Amino acid sequence: MTSRATRLLRVIAAALIALALAPVTLVAAISVTAAWRNGWPPARLYRAAAWCLPMLAVWLAATAVSRHSLGPAVAAPHLAWVDLRRHRYLAGATLLAPPAVPAGLLAGGWAWSLRLASMAALAGGRSPAAAARFDQRQWRHQVRAAQARIAAPGTVPVLTATGDFVAGAVIRTVGHPARPLAQLPASRLRAHQLVIGGTGTGKSTLLLRLWAAFIQSGLQRQAAGIAGPPLVVILDCKGGADARRIAERAGGILRASGARNVAVWPDETVLSLWALPARQLVSTLVDLIEHGSGGAAYYTDVMEAVVALAIEAPAGPPASTADFLARLDIGWLMLAYSAGDYDEQLALVRSAARQVPDIALRFRTLFRRLGPGLDGPGSFADADAWYCILEGTSEIAVAEAQARALVDLLASYVAGAPAGSSDPRQVLLAVDEFSAVSRRLPIWQLYERARSLGLAVQVSAQSWHGLAVRQDDRYRLAATAEGGIWLMRTPHPDPVVALAGHRASTDSSRQLVGWLRWRRHGTSRLLQIPVANPDLIRGLDVGQCAYIYRGGVSFIQVKQLVAGPAALPRSTARSAGSAARPAPDDRAAGPDVDPASPDAQLLRGQPQAPLGDISALLDQAFGPAPRRAL
Amino acid sequence: MLDVRALVFTADMYGLQLDQLAELFGGGTLRQARALVARWAKAGLAESASLSPGSPWVWITKAGLQACGVRYSAAPPALARLAHIRAVTAVRLALQAVPAYRDAGAYWRSERRLRARLGGRLGSRDHLPDAEVHWPDGTGVSWAGECWAIEAERTAKTLARTTAIMRELLARTGDYGCPAADARVPGLPPRHARVLYLCSPAAAGTVLRARETLGSLGARIDVRMLPPSAEMPPAQPLAGTGP
Repeated sequence: MTSRATRLLRVIAAALIALALAPVTLVAAISVTAAWRNGWPPARLYRAAAWCLPMLAVWLAATAVSRHSLGPAVAAPHLAWVDLRRHRYLAGATLLAPPAVPAGLLAGGWAWSLRLASMAALAGGRSPAAAARFDQRQWRHQVRAAQARIAAPGTVPVLTATGDFVAGAVIRTVGHPARPLAQLPASRLRAHQLVIGGTGTGKSTLLLRLWAAFIQSGLQRQAAGIAGPPLVVILDCKGGADARRIAERAGGILRASGARNVAVWPDETVLSLWALPARQLVSTLVDLIEHGSGGAAYYTDVMEAVVALAIEAPAGPPASTADFLARLDIGWLMLAYSAGDYDEQLALVRSAARQVPDIALRFRTLFRRLGPGLDGPGSFADADAWYCILEGTSEIAVAEAQARALVDLLASYVAGAPAGSSDPRQVLLAVDEFSAVSRRLPIWQLYERARSLGLAVQVSAQSWHGLAVRQDDRYRLAATAEGGIWLMRTPHPDPVVALAGHRASTDSSRQLVGWLRWRRHGTSRLLQIPVANPDLIRGLDVGQCAYIYRGGVSFIQVKQLVAGPAALPRSTARSAGSAARPAPDDRAAGPDVDPASPDAQLLRGQPQAPLGDISALLDQAFGPAPRRAL
Repeated sequence: MLDVRALVFTADMYGLQLDQLAELFGGGTLRQARALVARWAKAGLAESASLSPGSPWVWITKAGLQACGVRYSAAPPALARLAHIRAVTAVRLALQAVPAYRDAGAYWRSERRLRARLGGRLGSRDHLPDAEVHWPDGTGVSWAGECWAIEAERTAKTLARTTAIMRELLARTGDYGCPAADARVPGLPPRHARVLYLCSPAAAGTVLRARETLGSLGARIDVRMLPPSAEMPPAQPLAGTGP
């Protein structure tokens, strides 16, 4: 028998089986069509089949109980056929559905997995380009299904009931669980993350969702008594009107997420650089001034010595910019160290006497350019969220200095949590458009010690090259992003894609013998392909991203968060911060209430307004109050 | 007008017995209440049946709920909760009978309304009060602007559970159905200025002890006895079955 005849016989046999099991075939065909149309993985059909098993069990049990035998269940196909011939279609379908639906779904899942496998191995399809076209078509179907999944308002919460973060709907996954919604453990929000995406790719939408999730998750942890209140500090290093528009949007969303007050720096509130510890203040002030190397290093050393003299003077550190600038004067320094045993410092002042006016001039210029935003009073403790706008587009040097000062202030604030405080604040530092300040903000240094401080750092940039000036620093940032890398559309995803790793794939070759006719012989070989397809990332649409984590990738359609209607103006960070402080009366929580319990903390913090006497009303309605003896 | 008010009242309370419906009229008779229920039943707005000893129960049908403009799921009151529903209704009727309540324009927000607002999102650890009473601002009473939580306690819970419920009610800052993050925000004024417990003699001891446990916070909790009409009437012997 020739091979052609054998094949023909096989086809006929398969057709006869399909005809004999027509209901199963019908369900399988419908399920495969649905999977193709929605881009489902076969596992979804298998799960659907598993969910049908209770129906099958109930049907078998009902048959066994009512007929005292399982015989009628075995005869169901015949009985159904009889019903169908008598035009009793509903009765026939009812008899057939319990066994046919799960069997059909199983068969459909199996057939769909074969189809996907043959296409992935480039061994399926009629035309040479069929596999590539199939993949493109499936991508379109998966995108359409994901968009439909998140279209309805309220369908995608920021956090699930179990506290997981939901970014949006999953389009496609490789090496990650294929769920309808992109769910990540909330712990990833508290780890370093990287977000890369060009302008207009939906990066801000993703960032807003991440920040809102951090606040919500942080409040849940605080309520559970696991951690202190959350704090989000956002450095928008682009500046301009666009930054203010996003600040307004972020404020609404963060307030809706539970942040009591959102401070916009420096437009609405200020911070105090002078709150830094003296040693740290010297280092920060010197770093704010751009200085060179080589011969210029001598000048830097002199400047550092003079600044240290001004800050560490016996009178204590300066309290404001004016105070500091007044100290950069040879007369003030001589006077400050004249009383007491300060011979060494006096000698230093005399030797640096010629440079002091130059140093004063440089700092005067610096503080004029920085503006009053760092001249206090104010602290990160005053608000739950800070949106700091740095004019990185128009004045790069100023933005760099501001970023450096703000990061130092935040690190000092986090490291300086009150000794013995059991619940330190959960802090997220988000640096948006990092490229604008990356030259002078060595954020990877912060990465190194952030974990021990309970500080998560989230860096976002428009491109791989915007992450840092040096390639080493870029890789350092990407490699330490333990919370994952979010990749929006970008023309150069390759370095990040390489970090995601590779996976084994089958590459098959077939011999074309005529118009859309293949020989049944060919070869297959295993090869390593990137886990994250860089071409898919280059072609991502607005609001789509690739989330790379632990050698897997999830392509996600991000759900946009919409802020509620404009709220009444909130009190400024300074006043709100003071209002939010707990009432001094600790007895409000009761004598035997655990003072560390969330309820006790809440009750202590609640304003205690005097209550009117309602006993007359209650007496009239319900009679006198019962006695304790009851 | 009275019909509509009684219809919404009945919908809010899950259902009520005819004697309580008669009391809603301010001293109306059972006959008047029966006539009203018959009118509702004829219009398909309500159904009536004897679910417990005492007068028949009346509850609002799906058409009736639609007529009231409320989004509750239509169902007869659950048999296991009949006594509790009667107790809460008795509390509402007793409070409404006080002139100060009417004069201040106070608003009773029932548990069914709170539950409907949650839309099935009630967490397993959350506790819903039996009702809230809202006192509008600008009225003459000294407690104007306050929101009270109402709890009707027929049977005694454990002391720990009662204390936990009291603390939860007093600590809450957000409305029911608000984002989870707003439910308990430190520094915001509490949602419930007071909690009013109406207790049966069996439950009063536990409630009073739980209040004492809270220390100075207990000043925001008022305890009173349930009105006598909260008790379910005793079962009547069936006619012709006596010795």
